[in-house]
Amino acid sequence: MKLRLLLCMAMSLLAQDQKVLVITADASDYVLAAGGTIAGMAASGATVWLVRVTNDDKDSWDLPPEETARRTREESERAARILGIGKVVSLGYRAGELGGVSPTELRDRLMFYVRSFKPGVMFIPNPYAEYVEVLDRYYTGQAAEEARRAASLANFQPPFASVGLETHLTPELYYYAQPFDPRRREAESTATFAPQPKALDIAPMLAKKIQAAQALKTVNHALAMRIQQRLQETGRRLPLLDRVDDDAVGKLVEINVRKLAEIGAQGTGYSAAEEFHYAGVEYQIPAKYR
Amino acid sequence: MIHRVLAAIFLASAAGAQLPLLPIPPGKTALVILAHHDDHTWQYGLGGTIAKMSDAAYTVYFVRVTNDEKDGGAGWGNNDQTNLREAIAATRFLGVKEVLSLNWRNDHMDSIPLNELRAQLILLIRKHRPEVVISWNPWGHYDRNPDHRKVARAAGEAVWMAGLANIHPEHLETGLAPHRVPHLFYTQRNDYGKGHDPNAAIELDDGQVQRKAGAYWAHANVRYNPAAARALRRQLDAQGLTIPELDGLTDEQANEKLEKWHMIWISAQRGKENGVKYAEVCRYLDEWRDVPGLRDYILGSAEKK
Repeated sequence: MKLRLLLCMAMSLLAQDQKVLVITADASDYVLAAGGTIAGMAASGATVWLVRVTNDDKDSWDLPPEETARRTREESERAARILGIGKVVSLGYRAGELGGVSPTELRDRLMFYVRSFKPGVMFIPNPYAEYVEVLDRYYTGQAAEEARRAASLANFQPPFASVGLETHLTPELYYYAQPFDPRRREAESTATFAPQPKALDIAPMLAKKIQAAQALKTVNHALAMRIQQRLQETGRRLPLLDRVDDDAVGKLVEINVRKLAEIGAQGTGYSAAEEFHYAGVEYQIPAKYR
Repeated sequence: MIHRVLAAIFLASAAGAQLPLLPIPPGKTALVILAHHDDHTWQYGLGGTIAKMSDAAYTVYFVRVTNDEKDGGAGWGNNDQTNLREAIAATRFLGVKEVLSLNWRNDHMDSIPLNELRAQLILLIRKHRPEVVISWNPWGHYDRNPDHRKVARAAGEAVWMAGLANIHPEHLETGLAPHRVPHLFYTQRNDYGKGHDPNAAIELDDGQVQRKAGAYWAHANVRYNPAAARALRRQLDAQGLTIPELDGLTDEQANEKLEKWHMIWISAQRGKENGVKYAEVCRYLDEWRDVPGLRDYILGSAEKK
């Protein structure tokens, strides 16, 4: 118990100087999958940056892409502020089109921010998570995973060094994904360095996470309308969505975030949690020497 | 009913138990999106399920993505034409209304831009508005076939992106409307293990299995091989064995019998594993697959109008 207390104090002290880089494909994914943990780190004193890769221009119900992109950018920045994120960078790729973007180009743009910010922790979409329909998340996760490695090697992008962007190895890495993958809790091989499943308590940050998710009004409205339409097409109704207004959508988002936290907490002893695959410094030491 | 089936599917996935039997979802149209002319058959194909859907009054369309020029010994041009003709005949056994051939080059799909194929599939989804799509599992492992992988990826994106009005808005100018596919039946070349993890079984009746066997055999360009039947019977003879059902048959007839048995045997095997006479298995994703945090709430609170 004492040891745990000391460990928490030490982690809290470390967090004061901690720099956290969050990479997300779209406005909502990191909020729903990792928002509570990120908010907790920010509340403990960490400096957090967010790189949002696409412009979310497709994710609205009845707005053209340009207006959708403008609104989702504003709302994404609002959600990030609620979580305590200090800086938001939008790379501006068109949503749903990352399959046609050079992976090396995307990697190098992400590497730029790894070298300039020099984070101690990175959060990236898990490219190995299955049944994640939005492939932008897969492409972003893959590029981000490569960027972390490439940022530490001088022979990648030598011109970066000429403008002061020296190599940097980020020691801690969290792979996040919403709980689509039925095998997400299976441990990876422990024979060598491998990210392992890890759940973190987010109960103290749950209210903040709900608030941040609710700030994404355009994508939430589109989600509510899709659900309503699907139910209507099949002769059903959800009383909550009889009128799709801000209150109803806000309530729907709250139900979603609370349930995701409950799913994350199953079997952990927490009341609300988020699930990751975590590659910390200890996993860079072969198991037999740990 | 569907709520109970979904709960059973999630429990079965977790426990690795006998799979729950999945009813055909209510609907009118199914789109089968596969790389090759005969992918609806084989031990991993869902030909019986297609037959069951057409029995349930579904209109079924089969999208053959490649031109199948490499499959068969008749040369590229002939293989393309023969395999398409046989695919049309084979899928008629299953009740398929139309074969839509996209004619991408067989075994060369790795080099095709994903978004280009995806755009074609989005247009077809918006045109036919299927309640069910049957395709390769985009998350399947160890499928060595580049065509299967590319088709799986493109279909996996098209099924939900077709529902977004800002994706290919030019389609809407033709009168098409966005349409998100609610039910997905995914399959995979390798049957079990981490490569493909089925979570549902579809029970088949005798007629549906027979039609699947007939469809399999209808791909004569790649199935017709009397020499194989002859060799098998010689091998059995040498060991003093015989298969009575093959006695008196010509090599051609024995070839047909053996090929059809393959389909009947695998359907019986899957049935036995899942407590019924015949079955196929798939990875089923439901209409609320994109909102794991809302699924229980919607299923528990939605009311009939």
